[in-house]
Amino acid sequence: MRILLTLTFLLNAILSQGQNKQLLYDVGSLPQSLMSNPGTNISFDRHIGIPFLSQIHFSAGSSGLNLHDIFDDSNPNVNERVSRALKNLTDTDFFTVREQLEIVSFGWRLGNEDYLSLGIYQEMDGFAYFPKDPAVLVYEGNYNYIDVPFNFSDVSFTGEAMSVYHAGLNKKVDNRLTLGGRLKIYSGIFNVESTDNTGAFTTTSTPGGPNYYRHFADNINVRVNTSGYKSLKDENQRVEEATAALLKRSFFGGNIGVGVDLGVTYKIEEDLIVTGSVQDLGLMFHKKDVENYFYTGSYQTDGIEPLFPEAGPGATTLPYWDIFEAEVDANLKDEILNKAYLTWRPYILNASVEYGFGRFYESCNCLVPEFKEAVNLIGVHLFGIKRPKGLKYAVNSYYDRKITQNTRIKFAYTIDDFSYTNLGLLFSTRLKNFNFYLAADNLLGYFNLAKSNGQSVQLGFQFVFDR
Amino acid sequence: MPFTKSIIHFLLFLLFSLGLTSCVKDVDLNQTKDISLKPKLQIDLLIFDVDQADFIDTITFQQKTILRDTVRLEFLDDSYVQDDLVEVEFSFKYINTFSRSFHNKISFLSENNTTQRVVEFDIDAGDKENPATTERIDLIEIDRISVIRRSIKMAVEIEVLPGSDPFTGELKFQSKGLFSFEF
Repeated sequence: MRILLTLTFLLNAILSQGQNKQLLYDVGSLPQSLMSNPGTNISFDRHIGIPFLSQIHFSAGSSGLNLHDIFDDSNPNVNERVSRALKNLTDTDFFTVREQLEIVSFGWRLGNEDYLSLGIYQEMDGFAYFPKDPAVLVYEGNYNYIDVPFNFSDVSFTGEAMSVYHAGLNKKVDNRLTLGGRLKIYSGIFNVESTDNTGAFTTTSTPGGPNYYRHFADNINVRVNTSGYKSLKDENQRVEEATAALLKRSFFGGNIGVGVDLGVTYKIEEDLIVTGSVQDLGLMFHKKDVENYFYTGSYQTDGIEPLFPEAGPGATTLPYWDIFEAEVDANLKDEILNKAYLTWRPYILNASVEYGFGRFYESCNCLVPEFKEAVNLIGVHLFGIKRPKGLKYAVNSYYDRKITQNTRIKFAYTIDDFSYTNLGLLFSTRLKNFNFYLAADNLLGYFNLAKSNGQSVQLGFQFVFDR
Repeated sequence: MPFTKSIIHFLLFLLFSLGLTSCVKDVDLNQTKDISLKPKLQIDLLIFDVDQADFIDTITFQQKTILRDTVRLEFLDDSYVQDDLVEVEFSFKYINTFSRSFHNKISFLSENNTTQRVVEFDIDAGDKENPATTERIDLIEIDRISVIRRSIKMAVEIEVLPGSDPFTGELKFQSKGLFSFEF
C-alpha cells in the first residue's frame, strides 16, 4: 500500500501533467497540429520528423491531491493528512497518465494541393477514478459506517498501450474552409479496463435481531477485462521473450482497432476563425491474450449458527465454517474467463474561436494555396476527453504571437480539473528547415512540483519545408 | 532585430531554467514508512436461538442441562489477523424468556483445543412477557492479543442452573467482534 501511494504521488510529481495538449492545437506552422485537428490551416508543404524525437509528450495529473498534501515536511503527522485527503477526495476525482512518442512522422502536399500526412506513434493512457468507498473500507473499516453502503461502482479505471498507424488528409476547400480526416489503425500492446461496475457492501444494524448486524453484499457485478496481460504473467518467461512479445504486438501481432480523427477550420472573416475536431473516434477489438475477472452475486449473513448436536467438550461437530464458505462461494462467484471484449478509445473533442489582429502576412510561395495569418492571434480553446463517467473538460485562452517569419510563441491560460492557475508557454522556431518546439504547461507548478496537481511538456524536432 | 532575439533568448532561458530548476520541495518522502492503515471492522460471529426442545437428548430423550458446540473461525488464521490485529472487543448478548438462569462459558481454543480465552457469566432469568437481556463486553488489547492469534475455534457452552420454575422459554444469543487492525 505504501509503495502504491508513493508511486502514485511520484508519478504525479515527476511526470508532467494534464491530458490536454492545448499549446499545440491550431498552430499552423507545426505538423503536430494535424494530430489534434487534421483540418488545421497549415502553412508548410512537406515535413519529416526525426524518428522518435518529433514529438515526445508526457502527461499525468491528479485532480484532488498532490504530493505536498500528503508529505508536507512541516507536519510530521502523515496519517492525519492521509485521513483528511481521503475525506476530501470524491469518487469523481481521478488520476491520469498519458504518454505519446512519435516514431515516424512525415507528410507532403499532393499535386491537387491536399496535404497527406502519415506516421506511427506509440501511446499509453491510464485513467482511474478515486475508488472512494473501497478505499474508505480498507482505510477505516465499517465501524463508523454502519448502514452506509460501500459502492463498488466507485471502482472505475482504464489503461492501454498501443502503437498507432495513421494516414491523414488535409484539404483546403476554399479560402474559408479547410477540412481534414485521419484514419488510424491501432495495434494493441496491453489493455485493462473495469468500468460500469455495480453492487455494494453494507453492514446494517438489526436491533430486532437475530444478531447485532447483518452484512450484505448486494448485486455485486465487478468485471476486470485485460488483454496482453495473461501471457506476461508467465513466470518462466525471460525478459527477452517478454520484450519480443511486446514488440510483436506493436506490429499488429496483438489486438487490432480502428479509428478516425476529423477536423475543420473555417474563416468567418479574415481575422475571425473557428475550428473543431474530434480525435480517436474508434474502438479496439480484444480477442487475443484475453483474461477477464468476474465477481458477481449477492449474499447476506448474520453470522454462523451452531446447532448443538451431541458432542463432548471442545469436539468439532459440524463443519460450520466450510458450509459458510461454500455458501459464500455459491452466491458470490469469482471467475476467470477468456471472453473477447471491445473498448472505445477515449475520444477527444476540440473547438476554438480565434481572432487575428495586427499585420497579416502571406506565404512567400505563390504555389501554396492562399495562406494568410495575423501576426497576433488571441483565442479560446475548449477541450474535452471521454472518460468512463463522462467528459473531462478544459478551457484555455491564448495569445499567439509570430515574432519573426520563423519563430512564434504562444501563451495560454488554462482552467481544468487540476488547476486554476495554469499558465503555459509554447516556443517554436525554424532554422532554415529545421524546426524545434517546446511547450510547457502550468509553469508556476515547476517552482515546486510537489504542490502541483498537473504539468505538461511536449517537445520535438523535425524538418519542415516550404516549396 | 536585437529586441526580438533578446525576447527569444529570454523565453528559451525561461523554459530551460524552469526545466532545470524545477524541484520537489517542502516534502518528506520518508514519511511513507509512517503511513499506516487502521481499519476497525464490525463482524458478526455466532448466533443461535434455542428453546426447551433443544435441551432434550436426541438419543436418550432425557432432559440435559448443558448445550455445547464448537465452531471453527478460519479467518483467525489469516495473515491479516496473525500479523496486524491489535485489539478485539467481543460483545455477547443473551435474550432469555426462560424463567431459569443459565451459566454461559465462551472459550476460544487453539487447534489442539487448548483454551486461550474464556468468558464466563450467568444469564439472567426472564419470562415470556419480559425477556431478560444479559450482555458482556470482553476487550482484548494488544498486550494480550496473542491469545486470539493462537485461537482458531470458538466454543459455546450454556448450562441450566438449578431451579424449580418450569423449564420453558427461548434463549437467543448474539455475538460480534470489533476487530482493530494496524497495517
